[in-house]
Amino acid sequence: MKKDWTRIGRIASIVVVLAVAAVAPLVLTGGVAQNLAVLSILYAVVASNWDLTLGYAGIFNFAHVAFFGIGSYVAAIATLQFGVPVWLDLILAVVVVVAVGGLVSALALRLRGIYVALVTFALTQLCVALINSAKDITGGPVGLIGVPDLEIRGFELGSEPHAYFYAAEVLLILSTIAMRWLATSHFGLSLVALRDYEAYAVARGIPARRQRVLAIMASSIPTSLAGCLYAHYLIVASPDVFSFSLTTLLLSMVLVGGAGTIYGPIVAAIVLTVGTEGLHQLGNIRYMIVAVLIVLTLRFLPGGLWSLWTLVPAIRRRRATRVPSPLAEEASS
Amino acid sequence: MGAIIVSGLVSGALYALVAAGLSLIWGSLGVFNFAHGVLLMTGAYAAWWISSPDGLGLGLGIGIVGALAFMVVLGLVVYLLLVRPWIGKANAELAVIMTTIAGSIFLQNLILEIFGGRYKTIDQVVTGTVAIGGTTIQAQNLLVIILAPVLLIAMWLFLTRNRTGLAIRAVAQNQDAAQLFGIGVERIYIATFSVSAVLAGVAGILLGGLFNISPDMGTDPLLRAFVVVVFGGLGSLPGTILGAYAIGMIEAFSSYYIGIYWTPVVLFVVLIGVLVVRPTGLMGRPT
Repeated sequence: MKKDWTRIGRIASIVVVLAVAAVAPLVLTGGVAQNLAVLSILYAVVASNWDLTLGYAGIFNFAHVAFFGIGSYVAAIATLQFGVPVWLDLILAVVVVVAVGGLVSALALRLRGIYVALVTFALTQLCVALINSAKDITGGPVGLIGVPDLEIRGFELGSEPHAYFYAAEVLLILSTIAMRWLATSHFGLSLVALRDYEAYAVARGIPARRQRVLAIMASSIPTSLAGCLYAHYLIVASPDVFSFSLTTLLLSMVLVGGAGTIYGPIVAAIVLTVGTEGLHQLGNIRYMIVAVLIVLTLRFLPGGLWSLWTLVPAIRRRRATRVPSPLAEEASS
Repeated sequence: MGAIIVSGLVSGALYALVAAGLSLIWGSLGVFNFAHGVLLMTGAYAAWWISSPDGLGLGLGIGIVGALAFMVVLGLVVYLLLVRPWIGKANAELAVIMTTIAGSIFLQNLILEIFGGRYKTIDQVVTGTVAIGGTTIQAQNLLVIILAPVLLIAMWLFLTRNRTGLAIRAVAQNQDAAQLFGIGVERIYIATFSVSAVLAGVAGILLGGLFNISPDMGTDPLLRAFVVVVFGGLGSLPGTILGAYAIGMIEAFSSYYIGIYWTPVVLFVVLIGVLVVRPTGLMGRPT
């Protein structure tokens, strides 16, 4: 009986999500609202992908936003500088980002903990340095302007106001299904095992470095596509995507939403993007508010906003056996 | 050639001051302070505000003393609000990265809100130029070159001779044993944070005399300090200092011979090279 209710609940939430996804682009027709919606959906993709490596696998990977940036630059450089046909640049971006992600993580994961964070941070800085030094190809600090529209059989997405909105939604839905599937698969469980008790997991035959590198490569695929979409939608690729502030914003989405949940960062991405934009007249003070929010969340709600959901007793009982979020647990030893 | 070496020594000295503070905190608390760059910036602003005629106008001497006193307090506040609640918890390392990043966003925007984004200049501690061996260098550069090693040696003596300093190292090596010997671990953590904040403040004031003061002036030194601590090995003070000068020199020579834009690329390649050969850095110990 109880099982039926969970199933009904699940089907109902899928129906609601799909209905909202179908209707939202038709309701939010204003230029500003639409822009905000597309951005928050793309950020939701990046934040929820990051959650796989940061939340589930517990890797201090700070290069995730660089994957997004590299994706947007590959799309822009391929189409503008080398005349690669639109669509092919998306495949190219995925290949490049997965290769970079695999190579860097294979090197960085020779290290542990904080060192991984520092090296991956350095990679992001390297991207900015490369963009500035190879001005002829990348456009330098100004970026590349005039990235062509995506088109399907002669239909340009930019010519129809809802098209990019729907495209972003499709990417988010597919990415979320893939991330949840990965996170709950044997592969995902092995990542959690490595995070929580590495020595034991390795003793049980889980190859630590390989699983983690694969996790980073998998999470970089939708992120690079989000980067491409970002470049095609905004018509520009700008070095701002590698900035410290964007990394922080996305990081706060993962944490405030709830690390190790996939859904939490998506909710937080939408709330924080719309929220910071809505408080536009506050100027810099809104960033101070976000900062206070991060600290308060980490202090009093380590599981993030999504853990509020689990406070409902019925759900808590059902989840008791599930994997806890990495920040939610106290030191048990 | 002389000019390149001078520039390398100046950067090396500044990186050593910044990275030593990071290394000290890592050594004793096992957390990484991402707000270190913003502490540096805040120190420079404090000195500017106290000394400049646009602020209190009390002159540079009082400005420096006041700024360093302020850094002691700020170090305490950062520790109490952003670090202490997570110490001893399972994911202190990750949580403190986040809280200190949040703290740095907060402070940076606060400073921007109070003082605005326009560049400020702080008076140089010493003015004029000095000619040594055929190259003329700014006196402030010479001051940086001399002062940084003096401060670092003073810190080393403090850590090896002074009771509080010894206690810091004792806590770093074995917290439980240190506590059994009657060392107040809490007090030591506060002392560590304050010393580290003062080092950041000194770096900020020196940097402010060489370049302009702006709310994001701490970002570049912090990112360089990342490279330094990975290169030299976190938690090892000699490794950190050696790494800082090595990075400073590599940077100076590469800027001159390869080009300023390619220098970060060179640094990253060096960093990756070191990591492939020695994953714990030149003198680091495995975590």
